[in-house]
Amino acid sequence: MKKKALVVDDNENNLLLEKDLLEVAGFEVFTAKDCRSGIAMARKEKPDIIVMDMRLPDMRGSEAAAILRRDLETSDIPIVFVTASVLAEGREEIGAVPNSGFIGKPINTRTFAKEIGQFIGQGLPKANAKTRTG
Amino acid sequence: MTANKTITVSHEFSEGIVNTVREPLVVLDQDLRVVFASRSFYEVFRVNPGETVGQLIYDLGNKQWDIPRLRELLETILPQKATFDDYEVVHDFATIGKRTMLLNARRIPSPPEKAKVILLAIEDITKRKRRDDSNYTLAAIVNTSVDGIIGKNLQGYVVSWNNAAESIYGYTEEEMLGKNITLLAPPGYEEEIHSQLNRLQQGGLINNHETKRVRKDGVIIDISLTLSPIRDQSDALCGVSAIMHDITAQKKARQRLVISEYSDSIINTVREPLIVLDQDLRVVTVSRSFYDVFKVKPEETVGKLIYDLGNNQWDIPKLRELLETILPQKATFDNYEVEHNFATIGRRIMLLNARQIERGMGKERIILLAIEDITERKEIETGLEKTRKELEVIKKSADEASEFAESVINTVREPLISLDQDLRVVTVSRSFYEFFKVKPEETVGQLIYDLGNKQWDIPKLRELLETILPQKATFDNYEVEHDFSTIGRRIMLLNARQIQRKLGKERIILLAIEDITERRKVENGLEKAHGELNELATELKRTARVKSEFLANMSHELRTPLNSINGFSEVLFDETFGPLNEKQKKYVNNVLTSGKHLLLLINQILDMAKLEAGKMKLGLSTVPMKSLLHELSLLVADMVSKKDLHMVLEIADDLPDVEADELKVKEIIYNLLSNAVKFTPGGGTIGMRAKKSETGIEVEVWDTGVGIAPENREKIFEGFFRVDTPYSRVTEGTGLGLPLSRNLVELHGGKLSVESEGLDKGASVRFTLPAIAWKTV
Repeated sequence: MKKKALVVDDNENNLLLEKDLLEVAGFEVFTAKDCRSGIAMARKEKPDIIVMDMRLPDMRGSEAAAILRRDLETSDIPIVFVTASVLAEGREEIGAVPNSGFIGKPINTRTFAKEIGQFIGQGLPKANAKTRTG
Repeated sequence: MTANKTITVSHEFSEGIVNTVREPLVVLDQDLRVVFASRSFYEVFRVNPGETVGQLIYDLGNKQWDIPRLRELLETILPQKATFDDYEVVHDFATIGKRTMLLNARRIPSPPEKAKVILLAIEDITKRKRRDDSNYTLAAIVNTSVDGIIGKNLQGYVVSWNNAAESIYGYTEEEMLGKNITLLAPPGYEEEIHSQLNRLQQGGLINNHETKRVRKDGVIIDISLTLSPIRDQSDALCGVSAIMHDITAQKKARQRLVISEYSDSIINTVREPLIVLDQDLRVVTVSRSFYDVFKVKPEETVGKLIYDLGNNQWDIPKLRELLETILPQKATFDNYEVEHNFATIGRRIMLLNARQIERGMGKERIILLAIEDITERKEIETGLEKTRKELEVIKKSADEASEFAESVINTVREPLISLDQDLRVVTVSRSFYEFFKVKPEETVGQLIYDLGNKQWDIPKLRELLETILPQKATFDNYEVEHDFSTIGRRIMLLNARQIQRKLGKERIILLAIEDITERRKVENGLEKAHGELNELATELKRTARVKSEFLANMSHELRTPLNSINGFSEVLFDETFGPLNEKQKKYVNNVLTSGKHLLLLINQILDMAKLEAGKMKLGLSTVPMKSLLHELSLLVADMVSKKDLHMVLEIADDLPDVEADELKVKEIIYNLLSNAVKFTPGGGTIGMRAKKSETGIEVEVWDTGVGIAPENREKIFEGFFRVDTPYSRVTEGTGLGLPLSRNLVELHGGKLSVESEGLDKGASVRFTLPAIAWKTV
């Protein structure tokens, strides 16, 4: 049975790229363009992992994560934040969310799906999740 | 002679003279009752003898004689002075109307009949005042003079001789009648008498002429002589009246008096108690100060024996010795010291100066005794010797202190003023005059409020001096703002000290005035500037925050599209969704390479911005340097071989690990290695040396490449600088690698430097890292 992944990103190109990469890697991918629909989708589909941008139109990714964590049905789903922000502030936000990880943009297309897969059912140390291209 | 007979004789005698003269004349007894009046009196005043004789003069003619000025003359003046001439009385008589009268009065002190008699000549000068008939009046008045009265004819033969004349000259009337008056002339005075008679015959007068005459017993006496012509009823000159009295005793007395008055005034003027004793040591005179000092009264002093004065308190053995033993031998004795316990004034030390004067003031000898109370002087003298040395020491130090204080006052820049307890200016510093533009002569001794046209009359100053200072001896930094007429509005800081002088109850106030007008301006300016600075700092912080936010946003916004560009390029290049032809694959690779370069550029710009903003943080860990350097050399090995370069590694075996941010260290070395590759043409050599240093490690990355011109050695750290060589066009880079690396090295506490001998001579970048990075945040 395919692993379910929910990707939340307001940038359609990135949403498409991440969806493609995960589908190629064998995920069943659901997408949402904002936090509300993302949270709704998470409750509906109960994905194995949620891949979420930090900056979203209706609220911050960390706020959406807090809502998901309060809901017993979604509280255990690992969340990987994919963010272009380089500021420490963003890291702290992510650190405050249990069972979460972080992948910096731009993503490495050759390793992205593999990195995401590692978060499922593991609660991986965040250090391993850190990636930096350049 | 009985008293009655004497009076009768006197009456007859008087009547003779009185009735010959034309002027009204009244003779009064001691009770001021009329003994008799001249005919002319009755005529002039139109009164009858019956209602006149025996009457009180004031009651005459229906009390028309009760004239205040007459009472004054008779009751006040005459008892003191035996003679009073030309006493003018203006009175409105009931019978004769308003008259001006000249009264000439004589009290006869010792008339022969021993009855005090007053002779009052009344001259009605009302007429004279109108007609100036002075000669006529004067002669009549002179006729009334008593004392000795001698009538003589114009040849000088005596026609009348009264008892007074008899007592003066010793000749009886009988002896003298018919004799020539020259009989009375002492040798050499006959001529005088003749010339007097001649003068009188020509209508002249002789008044109170002091001359000498000889008595019957041959004694020459001093007399005062007044000669007047006597006229008969037809106003023809018929004789001479001579009125005289013996002034021998009077003259002597007057001489004595003059001396006595003189000495008395001296006695009463000198400060020292003085006492004059007669030969029996009885007090003759005492100075006022004597009474004051010894607290005795005049009535219990004069005439007393000196030893008896003030309850015998003057009975002092040493005084007795002086007065009774020493003085009779020596007429003068100075500074005779006597110590005595006086009942009234306590123990005193006195210095006595005595003079014995022979035949003074009518006494055989008198003693003048000056008493000086030297008790206090003695006490002072005793104390003086003891304290003089102390005083000298004190004075010396006081002088020094005073000099010092004065020089301090004149040296200090601040205006200084010292006031006495009445707030009057005692001293003022030079700077005070200069500052407040006042002159010394209009300052010292003035009330401070009055200085410079009262411009110092400042309510707050009054408050300080009159209210605050009396309670607090010291007051600092009392701020007063005042508009001075000379120097304009000033803010002053007053510092006051009240100094209580140890001796006496004086106090002195020292007032230092500091003009803080300018300072206050500066302070206000500073405060304003400070406020502005704070605003600026706030603004700067805000700007920095905005800049950070901007960078964060830019980072996000730039990376997001790059994520798509690089991501999709990679997916295409990897042929994930189907194969590409050769040209397609090459072009996609170009897009990917450019995208990656753009990403590098963005990352480095962000890093520089973070470093400059001090926001770059180091995540420290133990960095295994040897393996890290080998790892990095492998990372660039591909590029090195592609450019056909040779790479030399010299990494010391004992190279230690360091505490550093591993990612940053990797970035530094990667930057340097990639630069070396980029700027070294094919066939060249690059190399890396690493060794242990004193404080940590030293790493050098070198090449045989294009090198750096000396003038560009600093420019290469400015950012976006690319050494402009033909070759530079073909090299890729951001121009930020070297400055970023240097900043990262310095962030760790190390140093980075570049060496090159010039263009095409290669370059070498050397940097150090401390064993433990100290610039941690």
